[in-house]
Amino acid sequence: MSVGRHSPASLSIVSASTLDDSHKAGDGADWSKLMARSQDGDREAYRTLLEGVTPYIRSLAARCFKQPSDVEDAVQDVLLTIHMVRHAYDPSRPFGPWLAAIANRRIIDRLRRDTRRKAREVALSADHETFAEPATNVHRGTADEVALAQAIERLPPDQRQTIRMLKLDEMSLKEAAAASGRSIPALKVATHRAIKSLRRMLKQQSDST
Amino acid sequence: MTRTPDLIDALVETAAPVRRLRPPIIRAGLWLAFAAIVLGLIAIAHGLRPDFSDRVRQPLFVLGMLGALATGMLAAVASFRLSLPDSSRLWAVLPLPALALWVATIGYGCLTDWVSMDPDGLHMGEAIRCFATLLMTSVPLSIAMLVMLRYAALLRPLEVSVMSGLAVAAVTAFALSLFHELDATVMILIWNLGSAVLIAALGSLFGQSMLTWMASRFATLPR
Repeated sequence: MSVGRHSPASLSIVSASTLDDSHKAGDGADWSKLMARSQDGDREAYRTLLEGVTPYIRSLAARCFKQPSDVEDAVQDVLLTIHMVRHAYDPSRPFGPWLAAIANRRIIDRLRRDTRRKAREVALSADHETFAEPATNVHRGTADEVALAQAIERLPPDQRQTIRMLKLDEMSLKEAAAASGRSIPALKVATHRAIKSLRRMLKQQSDST
Repeated sequence: MTRTPDLIDALVETAAPVRRLRPPIIRAGLWLAFAAIVLGLIAIAHGLRPDFSDRVRQPLFVLGMLGALATGMLAAVASFRLSLPDSSRLWAVLPLPALALWVATIGYGCLTDWVSMDPDGLHMGEAIRCFATLLMTSVPLSIAMLVMLRYAALLRPLEVSVMSGLAVAAVTAFALSLFHELDATVMILIWNLGSAVLIAALGSLFGQSMLTWMASRFATLPR
């Protein structure tokens, strides 16, 4: 069953009679009596009961949830609910329908919650931008990038400034000239020299490693 | 994430003896007894409406009163029934015949008394006292219902809160026509049906979250 497409009203997870028959056919222990003793404070009976019903609850939950962790969450939710409302069980009535009703109710509640959450949320892939600031979405740190950054740091100051302005900040020659107060030919020469020395520095680095 | 066997250990560890709930019909009876006490106290403090002896002789009035009272009683029974996980949803139908009778008498009264409406309408002082009765009846009854049905938060919050809202609304309407002269038809409609709808709507809007809140306040749940 697909989790997203079900209509809760049409969900019939288990019929009470199926559950009742199956537990009688199972270990033979009468859950109704165990529950009555648990209500009186018999912890061993309570443990036997909870351990006995867990596989059934799990089988119900497994019909509605695909992920094992979701199934286990649902099982725990049902167990907690049984614990919270155990005083509401009347031992003169069969235990199977009582358990089935609680399990159905809690599982349907969880399915509804999941469906609501899925309707509101969109899964992000790695391609999605995570922050509004462009700088935060730049993935730095590959070896080449680090080496290049270090090489630029080692350039003489005028070449470093030229490379920053023209290549990293993507300014035009005119803008760079205005910003630095140097002539356009001087910038061209500085760029040429800077790239030559960068090439040399990076080549030396790759040779040495 | 807690492992399920660990959770079972923890639950067994904290499993104190619990007192079983009494049968739903008895619990509904207890709530109705509480409602009777509240109404009795108001009757002592405020007194019945001055024209009560006259009005009691009018079949329509008696029918309306009985309709409201029966709606309240049946809705209370239905609430306590529905709060049990293994009881049928069909219990929600139980108060509907009485509700139909009650609403029908209000509607019929409107139709016949329209012309005879008091030109002065209702005096302001009376309206305020009416409102006081409304609060004095519905607030304690709602709180009592919430406390008694808090465990239903995990099971059927919506059905139970609508049903208990209806029970409180019907008992409140019964109280209003017991204590206040509400002969102007429009006023009857506003007070009786309006307050009933208001209380039932509040019950269904906030009942669910109130039940959850109440359940968390009593996390250990009753002994």
